[in-house]
Amino acid sequence: MAVEAGLAASGCTVVAIETGTADLTRRVRDSGAEVIVCGLDDPSRDEIEGMRALHRDEPRPVVLFAEKAEPAQIEAAIEAGVAAYIVEGLAPARVRPVMEVAIRSFRATQALRAEAAEARRGLAEQKLVDRAKAQLMQRQRLSEPEAYKRLRRMAMDRGVRLPVIAGEILDEK
Amino acid sequence: MSEIALPDSPLAAPALSRARTRTLRIGFVPLTDAAPLLVAEALGLFDHVGLRVNLSAETAWAPLRDKLAFGALDAAQLLGPMPIALAAGLDGVQAPLAVTAGLGVNGNTLTLSRALLHDLGRIGYPLSAAAFAQGLRRRRRGASRPLTIAVVFPYSSHNYLLRHWLASAGLDPDRDLRLVVVPPPLMPDRLRDGQIDGFCAGEPWGSAAAAEGAGAIVLGSGDIWPNHPEKVFAVTAEAATAAPDDVTACTAALIAAARWLDDPANHTEAVEILRRRAFADLSAETLRAAFDGLAGNEVQAAPLRFLPATFPRRDEAAWWLRQMRRWGHVPAGVSDATALAPWRADLWRAAALRLRVAEPPAPPPPPADVLRETQP
Repeated sequence: MAVEAGLAASGCTVVAIETGTADLTRRVRDSGAEVIVCGLDDPSRDEIEGMRALHRDEPRPVVLFAEKAEPAQIEAAIEAGVAAYIVEGLAPARVRPVMEVAIRSFRATQALRAEAAEARRGLAEQKLVDRAKAQLMQRQRLSEPEAYKRLRRMAMDRGVRLPVIAGEILDEK
Repeated sequence: MSEIALPDSPLAAPALSRARTRTLRIGFVPLTDAAPLLVAEALGLFDHVGLRVNLSAETAWAPLRDKLAFGALDAAQLLGPMPIALAAGLDGVQAPLAVTAGLGVNGNTLTLSRALLHDLGRIGYPLSAAAFAQGLRRRRRGASRPLTIAVVFPYSSHNYLLRHWLASAGLDPDRDLRLVVVPPPLMPDRLRDGQIDGFCAGEPWGSAAAAEGAGAIVLGSGDIWPNHPEKVFAVTAEAATAAPDDVTACTAALIAAARWLDDPANHTEAVEILRRRAFADLSAETLRAAFDGLAGNEVQAAPLRFLPATFPRRDEAAWWLRQMRRWGHVPAGVSDATALAPWRADLWRAAALRLRVAEPPAPPPPPADVLRETQP
């Protein structure tokens, strides 16, 4: 296949070629692939999107291979950062930079996403602590600072984080 | 193709005299609710409104989306949540679209494998979420892998209606089972091979899986949200600006096709058109089930329909957006106005005016949101 030869010529190692689309997640993991290269019209693209959107499973940058594409389309796709296009007949020397751009933009997106997830988690934990505090205030008739101190002491005694204790208190009822 | 006299012809005189300009490139995925597009082509409705259309069958939703976003298509059949995803720029693909018509209401089915049906024991139709949850808990003790159900795309009505249904019985779709994505035409094979235990997809794929004995339809999407909006017809903002007359004409042709499709007298011919254009491997009987409102031998309470779907409702699309937020698929910074901007009732009205089709009455409200457990 021309794509495979092109990749090899540009200094990439093709670790696996998948023709079927069954259990893609495991195959991506087992192959140790850094990038997934796939045809623009390959039906397994929906599964790759599913892996990413539904499970954050084995996330990898995806480089699309299009047999023909208008230069404007390729530029738009690359600017969007979603995917890089390799078009049939592209000189091997230009394949590698395209792959590298895809990997870089993918990593940047991943980092942003991790940051956002971290922020969400922090907020969820704060809410949990607040609810546990409210419960202690009500049940033990404590003031807010007293309830908070009690929570903190319990966490320190057990050597766990505050949200863990808060979760346990809320589970007890 | 036989000559077809169109009832109350959509072909207002001004449209006929309009000079043909350019070709509108429209993509679709092989599904029964692509019927308005396929029928408009086969009956010559596009020709009648002076439009040259190139309809292309796409293999899956991601390629269709990318071609639309990057200019290889001017318009497409899309899953309801996809214009929202594209407006919000999810997964890095952003494209402003105009939704000028809906293509169908209802029409997706949940189909389960024979092995899973065996484990669930006696179930009624439509399968209740509670009965499914009970069966799942009983099965889980002996199961070697989590139950795997496929939907057609992350940003799909299938994904969000199924999640809503599961959550209504206290199931966590991200923990209690595994949801995966498989393109619709591949669903029957995956079910037969045992790679998935069930799938939610648009017809004819549920009926096709049942016809080959791989499983049975247990639920219609209309059982979860009766008369929910399903696929939409969307054009790129660029096409809407550059050729507004073409967009109006195309939308009118689709409304006329929907009206033709809802007449039971036309169903046999509709099935023939679909088979010829997109489903050569399926039997007429398999394709016919959705038109007859059948799921196996069961009569569907809310079957696939076309004409009531054509009016694009932003308030209904808001339900998809709420689900997308609930499951963390849309970042907090995206406003309702941005996400729902594609829905353009005004463009539908411009087209409907030509056909003297009245705006349909407001449908019943969508199901109430299942509130999220406030758990860690």
